[in-house]
Amino acid sequence: MSTLVDSEPTTAVPTRQPRVSASKRRQYGAAYVLVLPFFVIFVAMIIVPLVYSGYLSLFKKRLIGGTSFAGFENYIRALQDPLFLTGVGRMAIFLVIQVPIMIALSLFFALALDSGMMRLAKFSRLAIFIPYAVPGVVATLMWGYLYGPDFGPFAQVTKALGFGPPPFFTPIGMLFSIMNIVSWAFIGYNMILIYAALRSIPTELYEAARVDGASEARIAWSIKIPAIRPALLLTVIFSVIGTFQLFTEPKLMFSLAPNVIGTAWSPNLYAYNISFVNQDANYAAALAFLLGIVIMIVSYVVQLTNQRRERRS
Amino acid sequence: MSATPFTRRKFLISTAAAASSAWFLAACSSNEGSAPAAAAPSASTVPQSEIDKALDTETTLTFWTWVPDITNEVKLFTTKYPKMKVNVVNVGQGAPHYQKLRTAIQSGQGAPDVAQVEFQFINSFTLGDGSLLDLTPYAPAALKDNYPDWVWSQVNTNGGLWGIPQDTGPMGLLYREDLLSAAGIEAPKTYDDFAAAAATYHSKNPKSYLVNVAPNQPGQIIAYLWQAGVRPFSFDGKQTVNVDLASDQAKTVVKFWGDLVTSGGASNDADFNDSWYQGLNNGKWATLPIAAWGPVFLAGAAAKTSGKWRAADLPQWDASKAVSSNWGGSTDAVLKLSKNQIAASQLALFINTDKQSALNFATKQYLFPAMKQILTDPAFVDQKSEFYGGQKVNEKFAQISATVSPDFAWLPFMDYVYTNFNETLGKAFADKTDAVAGLQAWQDASAKYAKDQGFTVA
Amino acid sequence: MSAITTDARPAEAETVGRRPARKPTSWLLTVFVLICVGYFLLPLFWLVVASTKSNADLFSSFGLWFANFNLFENIKTVLTFQDGVYVRWALNSVFYAVVTSVGAAFLATAAGYAFAKYKFPGGTALFAIILGAIMVPLAALTVPTYLLFARAQLTDTYWAVILPSLVTPFGVFLMRVYAADAVDTSLLEAGRVDGVGELRIFFTIGLRLMLPGSITVLLFALVASWNNYFLPLIMLNSPEKFPLPVGLAQWASTATGGSGSQALFSTVITGSLLSVIPLVVAFLFLQRYWQSGLAAGGVKA
Repeated sequence: MSTLVDSEPTTAVPTRQPRVSASKRRQYGAAYVLVLPFFVIFVAMIIVPLVYSGYLSLFKKRLIGGTSFAGFENYIRALQDPLFLTGVGRMAIFLVIQVPIMIALSLFFALALDSGMMRLAKFSRLAIFIPYAVPGVVATLMWGYLYGPDFGPFAQVTKALGFGPPPFFTPIGMLFSIMNIVSWAFIGYNMILIYAALRSIPTELYEAARVDGASEARIAWSIKIPAIRPALLLTVIFSVIGTFQLFTEPKLMFSLAPNVIGTAWSPNLYAYNISFVNQDANYAAALAFLLGIVIMIVSYVVQLTNQRRERRS
Repeated sequence: MSATPFTRRKFLISTAAAASSAWFLAACSSNEGSAPAAAAPSASTVPQSEIDKALDTETTLTFWTWVPDITNEVKLFTTKYPKMKVNVVNVGQGAPHYQKLRTAIQSGQGAPDVAQVEFQFINSFTLGDGSLLDLTPYAPAALKDNYPDWVWSQVNTNGGLWGIPQDTGPMGLLYREDLLSAAGIEAPKTYDDFAAAAATYHSKNPKSYLVNVAPNQPGQIIAYLWQAGVRPFSFDGKQTVNVDLASDQAKTVVKFWGDLVTSGGASNDADFNDSWYQGLNNGKWATLPIAAWGPVFLAGAAAKTSGKWRAADLPQWDASKAVSSNWGGSTDAVLKLSKNQIAASQLALFINTDKQSALNFATKQYLFPAMKQILTDPAFVDQKSEFYGGQKVNEKFAQISATVSPDFAWLPFMDYVYTNFNETLGKAFADKTDAVAGLQAWQDASAKYAKDQGFTVA
Repeated sequence: MSAITTDARPAEAETVGRRPARKPTSWLLTVFVLICVGYFLLPLFWLVVASTKSNADLFSSFGLWFANFNLFENIKTVLTFQDGVYVRWALNSVFYAVVTSVGAAFLATAAGYAFAKYKFPGGTALFAIILGAIMVPLAALTVPTYLLFARAQLTDTYWAVILPSLVTPFGVFLMRVYAADAVDTSLLEAGRVDGVGELRIFFTIGLRLMLPGSITVLLFALVASWNNYFLPLIMLNSPEKFPLPVGLAQWASTATGGSGSQALFSTVITGSLLSVIPLVVAFLFLQRYWQSGLAAGGVKA
């Protein structure tokens, strides 16, 4: 068949050799070739814009006078900007309320489907997942209609019962209205992630418990959930990242409640408006950078908390 | 596979580095891209021979506009000048259109030759070196005579002609004849009558209102100010602006509408959304103060209520003299970046001044005409509208068009002023709080923005 | 031929047949979940009902039940309005989705395989950087990326939407975990002993073993691309390059005021319904791939 191409002997433990073997070198080469395409585009699409964003954020542009160096002025301005800060604060509230509820529901549905105690499980699984396949534009359109204070079905029901329309578009109401849209869209996605993890749990782990007569609920709580901890952490982190990046839903809800959404309901929306309406790409860059830092800090805290909890248990 | 890994690695790294640095250099190079194309002759008129030559040369023009079915009018142009080809592109309506236009201008790439620009945004494009071509040398000397004075003053500002007027939006009052007469009210002629009618109407119809005050329509509120003689904005074409939104007269107007909202005589729903359309269809409002593009729009959006509406003048502050204002209306402007300035200017001129084209805009797309010839043309004026119970709605609005008070100027950053409205005065309407305070907040924010951006605020 | 460790249940297994039959059905649970399913399907039900109505009926009839049946006229309007630009948008969406998802899946698979199966200098550092990038809000990068593309004169091109979407740090992470699990190093060694080149080993052995994982990454990239709104909104000017979300949003916004407004509601709604169907169908057919791919990623995270 084929003979060894190189003339040097391959060794089983190359790291002990003072010189890297040709086979290893070939492998390194292949590794670089395989990683390269991804990495090149990665650098071009993520690293470079990031650096450019940082560069832009150090300048200032005015309608009269053009661009000038501004140092950290934009950052100081952002940190004192009530619109930015309330946007971040709003996202923090969103995070603290919506993410646990959403993950808890995803977990509940995943466990229910995994328990085998359900009829129509496959249908339910698909139905809960379908909202994820709906573009945010369409989802907001649908819910925007359903929330309508005059002609939406919920309002019509409450009016028939003698009350006013449900407060979907008040400042606090809007928070929950959008939380609802996001949950509706992503419970299924998170459910699938958790469900997949559940299905990978070796059955022996809880067969014994079942034989001993433990209820499914007990098994779920004491065995399954701890076993899928990494998957749960993953879903939480993604939700954290996604929450701070909220853009599509508020942008599309704007026409329904323009004074509640305003220009800065979410930090991402604010950065977009600053960049495209105010024509101020520099300040927008500073906002984006700060937002990125906030996300990294929060994600890190979440991971730390999880590690600490894991160590304790 | 014969290269050593070190060489290959070096090669790979250096390729990646080269690629990234080229990319990076593209980012950091200070190419603002604002240098205009070869300057056209500044003050002197472009000779007809050059115009004819340009129109006889194979040219492709890009035209950004959101007017529906404008290819009808463009086709008249390309039929007359067969060597002209025009790409009509709709990049969005209103704000998105301007955003893309500005970013294209700033990056120097992808900008059209001709763009639709509404009256209130013209000044924002003449800032600094200016992005719009002064059309004075390309237009016939008597162009001015085609338009009512107030229209001409919208496009001829600070010593230049910046766009060819396409359509306008004189303000009138559409009202539901059936609802008003059922409540025993006549169409109000003064604002005092209007306030009284609002209270009466709502007390008889708890689920319905005389009028809506939209918290997201700065254009409409500005039209009310305009009608009352308020002149809140001015721009000298260079660096000085004046922002006076909170004058006494302005406060009177704003207080009027704010009181209607807080007293319950008017609703405060956001307009031009799903809910609002449903409201129109289901009789939530008995009147609709709206511009001349309103009648056709309403007929399309509220087909169910056909036959029940009529058109009248806006209520007046001074009963002795009918005065109106304008909300909306566009021009077609030519960008300095255009490589086909002469041809582009002729496109803008033709579709808006050629009689057939202008008549088409008015009768086929229902844009309210800017030109006097169309405003008096029987084909336009004599149209009876079934939606309005057989009334000659165009005739009414043509009359109104003659009463629009002239000399209303705009700031060169109306985008900001409009969006800020939602956070200040609009919010006051939405939250039913003190509208005058909201007005002051709007004033303060706009003045501050002007200062921050380097303008001298008079 | 599951590639996952043998003591775990094969992830493609369905409930029936693999489970001990003695598990009782909890009707309480079933009913409760089905009610929740109603919540998830409610807006879609509205969408279907609303698509059958004309503009006039939309504004005047009860939202959750039918009025005059107008679906076919609506569909016809959607497909012919503005010279059939909707069809163009749909084709664009397909184009973006297919190119992006295949490209992203391939890039992530190659990189994940390399990180998992080779211990090469700089590998750990590179992987850490890529992981770190998951934290970076991609949406916050979009505006600077736009400015870069503008300088490079690449805005309003198909590349402007495809290139940024090819990078999926999470995909690389997932594929690395999957490769570590699914690709047996001994198979690779066998290939090496036979003298097969490394890249050939990847394409013939590694890729095949990682296929379910690759398809998972492909699916998620597909959904992300199909639903992408922000990036194409910023990058594109010409309507003929818009994907469906951007086009539909533009139609929806033409109702929002000023001269030239058109109330396009029934068109937007029916257009939205049509845009949702392809993904639903795709998911129905590709269900079994999700689980095996995600299983490895989730548990080993």
